[in-house]
Amino acid sequence: MEDLLSIEGFSVKYTTSSGTVTALDNVSLDLHPNELLAIVGESGCGKSTLGLSIIGLLPRSTATVSSGSVLYKSKDLVKLDSNKIREYRGTEIAMIFQEPLTSLSPVYKVGEQIAEAIMIRELRKKGHKVHSDLMQHTYTKQTQKISRLPRLSRKIPTDLKNEVIDYLKLVRIADAEQVLDRYPFELSGGMTQRVMIAMALSQEPALLIADEPTTALDVTTQAQVLKLMKELMHKVETSILLVTHDLAVASQVADRVIVMYAGEIAENADVYSLFSKPLHPYTSGLLACVPTGYKDTEELTPIAGTIPDLRNPPTGCKFAPRCPRAMDVCTTTRPHLTSQEDNRSVSCFLYE
Amino acid sequence: MSSETILSTENVTKYFPVRKGLNPFSKEKRFIRAVDGVSITIRKGMTVAVVGESGCGKTTLARTVALMTPPTGGKIVFSGRDISSGRIDRTELYKEMQMVFQDPESSLDPRMKVGQSIAEPLRGLMSWKKDEIDEAVKRSLKAVGLSEDYAQRLPRQLSGGQKQRVAIARAISTQPSLVILDEPTSALDASVQAQILKLLLDLQKEFKLSYMLITHNIAVAQYMSDYIAVMYAGNVVEYGPTKTVITKPRHPYTIALISSAPIPDPTKKNLLQVEIKGEVPSAITPPPGCRFNPRCPYAESFCSEQNPALEEISPQRFVACHFVQKTA
Repeated sequence: MEDLLSIEGFSVKYTTSSGTVTALDNVSLDLHPNELLAIVGESGCGKSTLGLSIIGLLPRSTATVSSGSVLYKSKDLVKLDSNKIREYRGTEIAMIFQEPLTSLSPVYKVGEQIAEAIMIRELRKKGHKVHSDLMQHTYTKQTQKISRLPRLSRKIPTDLKNEVIDYLKLVRIADAEQVLDRYPFELSGGMTQRVMIAMALSQEPALLIADEPTTALDVTTQAQVLKLMKELMHKVETSILLVTHDLAVASQVADRVIVMYAGEIAENADVYSLFSKPLHPYTSGLLACVPTGYKDTEELTPIAGTIPDLRNPPTGCKFAPRCPRAMDVCTTTRPHLTSQEDNRSVSCFLYE
Repeated sequence: MSSETILSTENVTKYFPVRKGLNPFSKEKRFIRAVDGVSITIRKGMTVAVVGESGCGKTTLARTVALMTPPTGGKIVFSGRDISSGRIDRTELYKEMQMVFQDPESSLDPRMKVGQSIAEPLRGLMSWKKDEIDEAVKRSLKAVGLSEDYAQRLPRQLSGGQKQRVAIARAISTQPSLVILDEPTSALDASVQAQILKLLLDLQKEFKLSYMLITHNIAVAQYMSDYIAVMYAGNVVEYGPTKTVITKPRHPYTIALISSAPIPDPTKKNLLQVEIKGEVPSAITPPPGCRFNPRCPYAESFCSEQNPALEEISPQRFVACHFVQKTA
């Protein structure tokens, strides 16, 4: 099976007033069609940077891609200029963020925003090059020829309305006809995140990047949203790159998991072997940190220390100062991601 | 274990008034019923976890118990004294009761050195001399696993986990008997969370502390507590020993909550099996009757007429459900 997304030797640096931070250091990964790949790690490990860099959303003033390529359907997204990448961003490659309320426009009704997205998709299919500058324009032109009373006179075209309702129903919003006419602030967190998913899916994306999509949600809502994502993924045949800090969430929905530490991939394995037999000491350390039992029967074994300062990371393996199994070689030489049996790979001298 | 009761609340309520519409003269009064009749008991050396989703009133309950906001009704008894009415000597109260908040960033003064931050409550609450205070600061820092020279640092020089350690050091510096922990690890990474949880357990053993732990994280509540109180829309819906509540939840909401909490084991995909619809109701206009009834799989028409009371179904185990026999 050909890979949908293939990242090779990818490095990103941030320039800050107090030095250069290597946020991603020689990251390589593949994403297969119709696969849910979870990127797991603690804050500062580079997982969000990875998600953002795929669709060219890195802050241009501070971030630089210092090496590597991001091949999407064998086209290098890094080399595309900002206009070209807009043909992919939000369309073929859709994205959902942690805070659904900040991702939706507060001044447009939910239905209008989805209708707009559908309109873009149709124009795109006809071969128009559509990107965000055009979006407002096209939408306004089609919905209201004379705009004296912009807010009140806006109406969703009837042919689009049915499709909008279909998408809202797809993400299990019960009273779709009413939700259509609401503004994002009138909806709960779970509902807005569903609207975001509906919008993303309306583009029929081949790849969906979900950056902590359920972190701001309650557990019962989180369960609903994750279940929905997993079901829809098979229904509309898309691949999902799920960025999360929560190992438990990853274990529940992912097909494959990549564990990141300090900008590097520590381990890459299918979900079953990762959780049953973690290879990298960081992975096993992280697993031992998650409380699963009761205090009188189970003891938590936290990983000692804290994540290193990425402005001057330790020479050798970045995890070595915290690693219970560190050897002499770990403090001097940097390990590489090496293939292991069962189609997994790990970056650790214990397995080289 | 001693069975001395350190804190008990009886039917505590906390309503926040909201004005209806834009009319400033409107006489119609509406309330957010954040906490609506909660009775819990915390015994010495024990941890009671209050779990629930956002808006269920768990943080308001903690703030009400700590008298950061006065209760609207009900009774709070702390160390044998009624602290919910009459004149309360807060100096005496806060020697015995301390709180740790979710965000260590905002609970420390950015311009105060760590040592000053820890000494501040001691100066106000204890009639100690300067060298006694210095000694207590050192003792507290040591207890939370930080060396003495951290006293000279500023919060911005510390990591999130270290800041939370300082906040805990400050809370235990007055040698309280009850510490209210409001989401103490929610802002922290997994590896740091484990460090803090372990520290809290060690401190509890060392200083015989009682904890009231407010959390949305079932795994944390399960690991840390002796008793769990599950809150939903301002009510406690289930209360009992942690192990029984986790393994044999009886209230339909507790069942849904526990099965929605993801467990880090791909061979047990609990998350994708959950069937729970809807979301937490509005606290201003909660549904009539049992507040969980619109989402409940067992609900019958009777449930929307009367809100069930918390009843003892077996010793120490309380459930507020009309049809508790259905979940047996």
